[in-house]
Parts: sequence; structure tokens; C-alpha cells
Amino acid sequence: MSENLDQQEITAADSQADLRKPPGPWKIAAGKFVRNPYAMVSVFVLLFFVIVSFCAPFLTPYDPAKIDLKNSNLPPFSDGHLLGTDELGRDILTRLLYSGRISLTIGFSVALASVIIGSVVGAISGYFGGWIDTVLMRFVDVMYSLPTLFLNILVLAIFGDEFIYMILILSFTSWMGVARLVRGNFLQLREMQYVEAARAIGVPNRNIIFKHLLPNSIHPIIVNATLMVGGAILSESALSYLGLGIQAPQTSWGLMLSNAQEFMLTNKWLTVYPGVCILLVVLAVNFIGDGLQQALNPRGKKHPVRRLNEWRKKFSKSAA
Amino acid sequence: MGEYLIRRTIQAIVTLFLVTVFTFALIHLAPGGPTQVMIAPGVSPEAFEVQKRNLGLDQPVHIQYLQWMGRLLQGDLGTTFKNNLPVGDILWPTVGNTLVLMIAAWLVTLIIALPWGIYNSTKVYGISDQFASIVSYLGFAMPTFWFGIILQQIFAMNLKWLPLSDMWTYGKQGDIGDLVMHLIMPVTVLSLGFLASYVKYSRASMLEVLDQDYIRTARAKGVKESRVVFRHALRNALIPIVTILGLDLPILVSGAALTESVFNWPGMGRLFVSMANAREYSVLMAIVLVTSVFVILGNLLADILYAVVDPRVQLGRKGGGSK
Repeated sequence: MSENLDQQEITAADSQADLRKPPGPWKIAAGKFVRNPYAMVSVFVLLFFVIVSFCAPFLTPYDPAKIDLKNSNLPPFSDGHLLGTDELGRDILTRLLYSGRISLTIGFSVALASVIIGSVVGAISGYFGGWIDTVLMRFVDVMYSLPTLFLNILVLAIFGDEFIYMILILSFTSWMGVARLVRGNFLQLREMQYVEAARAIGVPNRNIIFKHLLPNSIHPIIVNATLMVGGAILSESALSYLGLGIQAPQTSWGLMLSNAQEFMLTNKWLTVYPGVCILLVVLAVNFIGDGLQQALNPRGKKHPVRRLNEWRKKFSKSAA
Repeated sequence: MGEYLIRRTIQAIVTLFLVTVFTFALIHLAPGGPTQVMIAPGVSPEAFEVQKRNLGLDQPVHIQYLQWMGRLLQGDLGTTFKNNLPVGDILWPTVGNTLVLMIAAWLVTLIIALPWGIYNSTKVYGISDQFASIVSYLGFAMPTFWFGIILQQIFAMNLKWLPLSDMWTYGKQGDIGDLVMHLIMPVTVLSLGFLASYVKYSRASMLEVLDQDYIRTARAKGVKESRVVFRHALRNALIPIVTILGLDLPILVSGAALTESVFNWPGMGRLFVSMANAREYSVLMAIVLVTSVFVILGNLLADILYAVVDPRVQLGRKGGGSK
């Protein structure tokens, strides 16, 4: 999301190129982000996973759920099956790709949904204050004191384990962090003079919240959203591993791990692949989140430590 | 202090009340309502009516809630619907087992993370610090249950050093040595995630304190560096960690549930998962309530401790512990 924003901002800035005009905040942030090696590598890793799993039907001739008992338990690098097959003869690479689809879809949609819920709740709470704030924040406290995993399982057990319920319940149990963050930001921002000015000329509350205040607290929201993608992927895999998430004809990395544990003796590689996929994707998302945080934080360090140390050695007399 | 204590306790009771309302509402929101959830499918319409009356489901919702609460307050958690066992009889034995696992993991985390974090705060960006940040990246990104499965494969299946799962070897119940062997892998798995965050917390908290004026004063007076770190800085740096310990309780409980499922540990989490698959809602509700009570009490305790050790906490201010 932020990537797109950055891109638009940059092209907009370039088109009216004015040499005396300093680069805007988004351009500075984009520049910092691009120069962060971990973040950039992670962007490519994540893009790779997204492209590969969403193009799965074009990349592999197999059906991820097709059972082929004649070719079961093939080792890696066997004919036609790069990573081999599982106990039911399903091609592992194919299953990994199709699993990626579900895990990534859940990760991104949960992050998006919970950011929206969290921002709205936090915005209302922080802007209006008073009893609305008290009620909403008590609700956040309640949500925080329920063990999330148990709540997810309870809801999935009651409502049935459909894909959409999974996204809904995962978003419903992970918006609280954003809500607190946005509320905190709004508590500060609503005292600003431009808000007072907007109120004075009769701008409705809705517009003050969405046009004046929310864009000003967008940086932490973006960072939080990115980090939430990883959390959602992990939660999904945990639920599927426990048998309460994605169900049999469909497949996800967590579900593959749960199958793999049963066949640990016959094929130990089965456990390795899905886990590595989860690890890589979540790691990439977290690195991107960290990169964004550093890039978007105007008070963040502007120069790498190593370069600072070099300067210190060269230019300061008292350097140790 | 007294006022703060009372205010915070009332707050905890309100939260607890809301949790019960929430859990109760959840069952009533289920498709088909609580009758569908509580009564076994396929019974005759007459039996259905009788069951409904026995369970009190023909009463208005608020009366049902009050009756349910009344029974809860007397310690009655209801019965399972398959064989009508009291939920308490199934639940309480598992609570102890979960506590064993959680406390062990918690101690291991603190024993390793605190000294490590303190050391890293004195040597920022050193080798140990960088290693810690690698560990924390891995700890945050790795599915804990996967780590568990990998450990099982290496140490139980291939090397055969450690028992694969369960809490005791059959016939050796009560043998502490046996318990410790069974604890090693689950505790490693459970602590890894926490280790990652606690090294970070303690390092950050130490750095913040070490940056303050009184530390500079102490150094200027010529106090030995070790004394500065351990006597002057550490005491204040520990304060925020107390709160975080309280706030992380729900994560610890959830993590324990997953770990229990991987290692077949006879605890509350494994019970929850198996009961969820069997759709035993009364047990599920009971576990959610018990863990919430536990978490809320933990938070309350952490906040009170915080107020006791840190006189700077502004007593009587609203929402003292909710950040």
C-alpha cells in the first residue's frame, strides 16, 4: 500500500520538477527505504512469493488436492516432482504454491481489515474523548485480556471453519494495537492549532478526523499494518495446524505441517518446506516493516553507524 | 496508594464482568442459538423441549445470564454434554500441568534474557547484541509449533536424547528427573519467542536509564562501572519489565496451548483444542473464563507491583495500567 503511495508521490513530484523545490516527506522516506539493504531484499523475497503463489496454475501442471497413490512418498528431485510427493501422492511443490496463496491472502486481508477497524475505533476514541473513549478503551482492555488463540478457536468451533470466518475472527482479535496507537496520536493531534482552525471555520468532525488527523498519523499505522501481516500468517498457520483453520481440500502451510507431523518417520522433509516458507515470508514482512519504520521516522538516524564512526575518527579530536 | 489499589481492583472487576458477558454473548450469537450449540443434534422434539427446560434455555436471555453467573460464582462450571461430567473435574487437573510448563518457561526466559539484555546494553552493537537481534528476528518470524516439530525430529527421533512427547514416562509419574527431561523441549520452544522480546526490552530499558543524569553523576563521582550498572541503573530499568510481564500473560497462555498440542502435554491448551474439535462448548467457555481471570489477575498484580516499586507512577490517575 505504502509502496504505491510512494510511487505516486514520486512521479507527481518529478512531473513538476522544480529544482529549487526540496523533496517531499514521501520522497525522502522512499529514498531511505531503497537504501536499506534488508528491506529491499525482503521486498524482492515477498514479491517472489506473491507472484509464484498467485501464478501457481501456470507454473505447475498438478492439482494440489489430487490423490495419486501410485506415486506416493517420492523423494525430492524425482521425475516430474521437484520436491517429491507426500503420503497421498500429492506434489509437494504444487501444494506449497497453492498454500502460499491462502496464507498470503489471509495475511494481507487480516492486516487491512484490522487496520481499518483499529484506526476507526482509535480515531473516534481519541478525537471525541470523554465517555466514548472510556467505553471503547474498556472494550480494548477486555479484548487484550482474552487469550487470542483460545478466542479464535472458540469462534471457529462455534461458527464453523470457513475461510471468511477465519479472516473475520483474526481481524477481530488483532485490531487493538492499532486502536491504542491511533488514539494516542489523536490525543496529541487534536490539540493542534490547525484542528482548532478547522473547527472554527465549521469543518464537520468526520472531515477533521479523516482529512486532517488520520493522514497525520498514517506513518505508525503503515508500519503496524506491515508487521501485522506476519502476525496474521503465523496465527493462520497455528490454527490450521491445530485442525481448526483451513480444511482438507484446500491447503495452507499450517495444514501441511500438521500432516507432516504424522508422517515424521517416513518423510522428514515434509516438515521442513512449509516451515521455511512461513519463516521466509514472515521474516521478509517484518524486515519491510522495520525498514518502513526507519524510513518514515523523521527523527530516526539519518546515517549508518559505521559512517558516523568513520566521521568521528576523522573529524573529532577526542574520539576513542 | 490505597485509592489507586481500589480503583484498579474495580477496573479489573469491570473487565472481568465484561469478559463473562462477552463469552456468554458469543454462545448466543452462534448460528441456531445456544439450543443448537448445547443440545446434541438428532434428538426428538419432545426430548429437545425437556433438555431446553433443564438447561434453562426457555428463560429470557438476561435471566439465563444471571443464572449462569450464579452457578459460576458457586464454582459450578457446568457439565459436558456428551457424558454429563462436571467440567471442573476435567479442567482443574490440566490447569496445574499448564502452570508447570508456563512457570518453567517464564523462569528460563527471565534467567537468560535479563542478564543478556543488560550485557548488551553495555556493549551496544557488539557481537552479542547483533546475535541477539538475529535471535529476535527468528523468534518473531518462526512458527513456534514448527520449531517444536523440528526439535522433536532432531532430539527425539534421530538422536533419541529426549522423550518425544507427554509429561511423564508411563509408570514414572511423580519422578522429578523424568519431568525435567520431558520439560526440556516444550520449555525451549515456549521460551524462544519470549526470549526474543525480553532481551530487547531489558536492553532498551537499560539504555534509557543509562542515559540519565544521575548515572552521569554517579560515574562522575567515580563509582565503579559494575556498581553503576547493577546498583544504580538496573533497579530502575527493571520497573517497566514488570508491567510487560503482566501484559504478555495472554501471549504466554496462547503459546502454551500451541506447545502443549505439539508435545501432547496434558494441559489446558491441549484440552481446549481437543474439546474444540469435539464441540464441547461448556468446557471451552470454562477455559476461556479461567484463563481470562488468570490474565486479569496477573495484570492487576503487575500494576500493583509497578506502583509499589515506582513512586513516580501517578497514583489515582485514570487508566494507570492500560498502556
